[in-house]
Amino acid sequence: MSRPGEELLSQALAGDTAAFGALVRSHQRAVYSLALRMLSDPQQAEDLAQEVFLRLYRNLSSVGSVAHLSFWLRKVTLNGAIDRLRRERRYQAVPLEQAEDISGDTADTDPLLERRLRSLLRQLAPAPRAVLLLRYQEDLDPTEIARTLGMSINTVKSHLKRSLALLRERIGEIA
Amino acid sequence: MRSFVKLFTAAALAASMLFTRVALAAPPGALQLPEFGSLADKAVQAVDITLDGALLNLASGFLDTKKPEDAAAKDVIRGLQGIYVRSYTFDKDFVYPQADVDLVRKQLGAPGWQKLVMTRDNREHSKVDIYVCVNGGRSCGLAIIASEPREFTIVNIVGSIDLQKLHTLEGKFGIPRMSLDEKK
Amino acid sequence: MSDDLEKRLRAALRPVDPGESFTRGVLERIGSEQAQPRWGTRRTRLRWVSAALAASILLAGVVAHQWQAQRTRRGLDARRQLLEALTVTSHKLDIAYRVVNDQDDNTTASDPDDRT
Repeated sequence: MSRPGEELLSQALAGDTAAFGALVRSHQRAVYSLALRMLSDPQQAEDLAQEVFLRLYRNLSSVGSVAHLSFWLRKVTLNGAIDRLRRERRYQAVPLEQAEDISGDTADTDPLLERRLRSLLRQLAPAPRAVLLLRYQEDLDPTEIARTLGMSINTVKSHLKRSLALLRERIGEIA
Repeated sequence: MRSFVKLFTAAALAASMLFTRVALAAPPGALQLPEFGSLADKAVQAVDITLDGALLNLASGFLDTKKPEDAAAKDVIRGLQGIYVRSYTFDKDFVYPQADVDLVRKQLGAPGWQKLVMTRDNREHSKVDIYVCVNGGRSCGLAIIASEPREFTIVNIVGSIDLQKLHTLEGKFGIPRMSLDEKK
Repeated sequence: MSDDLEKRLRAALRPVDPGESFTRGVLERIGSEQAQPRWGTRRTRLRWVSAALAASILLAGVVAHQWQAQRTRRGLDARRQLLEALTVTSHKLDIAYRVVNDQDDNTTASDPDDRT
């Protein structure tokens, strides 16, 4: 049974490595998935995600609560990914990798469409891509997205509107 | 003596210019692509890929032939000298330099290029041109130029592109069966 | 359609677990950050000097390894670009194919007076 988040955080702050490990386990899916869908490369995503948690370890005292921890992790992950993408001046992403197939398929999924959506998402520029991930992977509302990415709410809404329209158009072309 | 030096210098200069001209001459099947870098900031999506022979070799070494897409890709790129893609999508109509795209299209009128497919949709203002380069009875390249009001894509594959192999990519990259009866 | 697209997006973006080895990797990196050499007795210092000497020999191996890692990164990047290029190519061929097919369908079903 997992210990409640706040308790884990306090113990990790007190130097309990096992508690920190449990914190990593409970947040690694979100951090890794954000990194993966931004960078489109499992190795780079793993590298970035590990760096994020290392940075968390060094700066744990600046994280006040579990809620702030999630915010901190998303922000640092996305900033790190956007920095890497800008350094490499790549806006396009890489389809057809292993990562495509990892989401578990269930009876009511459409794997082909979902794969296509992930591929189309990776063709977006970093900023709108980050907005879509926070909205549909992390389930944040526009206000929280704006806060995480340091954008205005209007910019977030504009990114959402334009990106969804583009995806709709592309999916419609293929359908 | 001085006139000998002058003559020698002139000859050396002419030889180096000739060499440069030869070295810089594009191989058959290669298109001269304009610099579109400044469009990336205006574009909603930008794809800019330049894979010359060395990079294609490097990529080939990292293709996992156990995966169908990788195996198919490895087969297709055998014998290729380069793959170049420029694809930009915008959120307004005709903000990209159509003249630059048309200049690339004009290159397909040069000897060696044969039209495979030309489609025009006047209602949607879209055009797709697919050309194959043939040199000495062998294919030496493929060019796709697709333009719509808010997007243009240029694909140039240089080298001996096997249309039959392109045919076998069906289902792996969403390539449908193409008629191998070339439309001229 | 909008709700359906959003539903499909959520399904497509279900988080992915990097696995238990990920957590181990993080903790190992933390462990190696925490390890600090201690300067004390002469014997300890001598021990650290020899260790440093051995480390510099290892450094050559590490540099070679980093070069290999860099090459691997470049190679994987080239592979990604290649697959992306082939995807774009296939997408455009697909569009042309569909337009041609539609035209063929219209031609076969069309007015016999069609001049094209």
